[in-house]
Amino acid sequence: MSKFKKEGKKSTPGVNTSSLPDIVFMLLFFFMVATTSKENDPTVQVEQPTGTRAMDLTPFKQRSEVDFLYLGKPRNPARAEAFKMGYALSLDNVVQPTPDGLYNTNAVGQWKKDKFDQKPARMTSPIELVITCVKADKGAPTGLIFDIRKELQNINALTIAYAVRDNSNI
Amino acid sequence: MAKREIPEINAGSMADIAFLLLIFFLVTTTMDKDQAYIRSIPKKIEVKNDPVEVQKRDILAIKANSQNQLMVRGEVFNDPDKISDFVLKFYQTNQKAAGQLVMNDFPLYSVITTSQIEDNIDKILDEIDAMEAAGSPQDQIDFKYNQLAEWEKKQRALKLYGGSQLPEISFQANMRIEVMQATAYSIFAKIQTEIEEAIYELRDKEAQRLWGVSYGTLKRKEANENDKTKVKEEKGKLELLEILYPARIIEVTPKN
Repeated sequence: MSKFKKEGKKSTPGVNTSSLPDIVFMLLFFFMVATTSKENDPTVQVEQPTGTRAMDLTPFKQRSEVDFLYLGKPRNPARAEAFKMGYALSLDNVVQPTPDGLYNTNAVGQWKKDKFDQKPARMTSPIELVITCVKADKGAPTGLIFDIRKELQNINALTIAYAVRDNSNI
Repeated sequence: MAKREIPEINAGSMADIAFLLLIFFLVTTTMDKDQAYIRSIPKKIEVKNDPVEVQKRDILAIKANSQNQLMVRGEVFNDPDKISDFVLKFYQTNQKAAGQLVMNDFPLYSVITTSQIEDNIDKILDEIDAMEAAGSPQDQIDFKYNQLAEWEKKQRALKLYGGSQLPEISFQANMRIEVMQATAYSIFAKIQTEIEEAIYELRDKEAQRLWGVSYGTLKRKEANENDKTKVKEEKGKLELLEILYPARIIEVTPKN
């Protein structure tokens, strides 16, 4: 005779999942706050060099005061052969043609002008202060960057940003 | 009439909906920040003047060739981390001897005094009055107003600095980055990093000495403060640091 009656098979109670949505929402809000929306994946591959003490562009990005230019190796290997220098410029995912086998930066001026015209009216910065950020690959020739710089100078867009990967304060 | 019971909404699929949203945000957003060095491009000039003569001691030329070798002031070296030392030396060598003529290869420092600043402001104000009376072109008058703003900035800076004189590096002192067409972007970016690093160090040291706060804190305060008077205060401090250690960077367009 035992005091404790052994019962038959006990079924384990189901885990209460009523707070699962709360947990997931919390995660969701964290990611909504901590991240910024991705630019469309560039058609060129860019491995940025590292640097320190760089300026964070997020506030400018939120005010849509910054346009991104990508300078890197084309992702499509078939296209890569067309570029003698091995580097191509990507403006809004349009890889710029290179008629003479060299790079062609003539399109930068028109692109930047169009971008500026499309900006919302509430943005009152003159074109001189609208940042153009060049995201260039480690090995990209600097001559190309100076060509871009000259095109920007021609249309009076006088603020340029050289992108780096800053690992010092993450 | 009997009260009809409202059936409860089944919230079992709420988690699924939230997961869907979560995954959507995970996929379309990115964590990494866009960080960059912001530089201004000089305005295009229509009229070509003869270039201004700059003394050799006022130039810190940082050169990199197509083989990514570095040279600063005639010294060839391979370790790019050394560039910031050159920049520091460029700024600091004659700083203690402000107002004196020193025979070496580094930019001279001059001192500006309160009375000098006041004299200049008075002089420019008189000139503006005269020009406005004579009906000079607007851009010439604007130029004078810019000069006036510059001197007023110095006046504010000196007040903040304390004492009666402000040491100022030669107005022509500049750092120039001379690269070649084929120089890798990583080297160019590294030079920018090193300059930024050195300027930060100098300004940080001064900020610690004057107010006991770091330069980074000052900048953050200026950016995040809502109180208008406080923002002005921080801005004034940053202006002073910029006058003491101006970052004049010239990026020379490569010819070959």
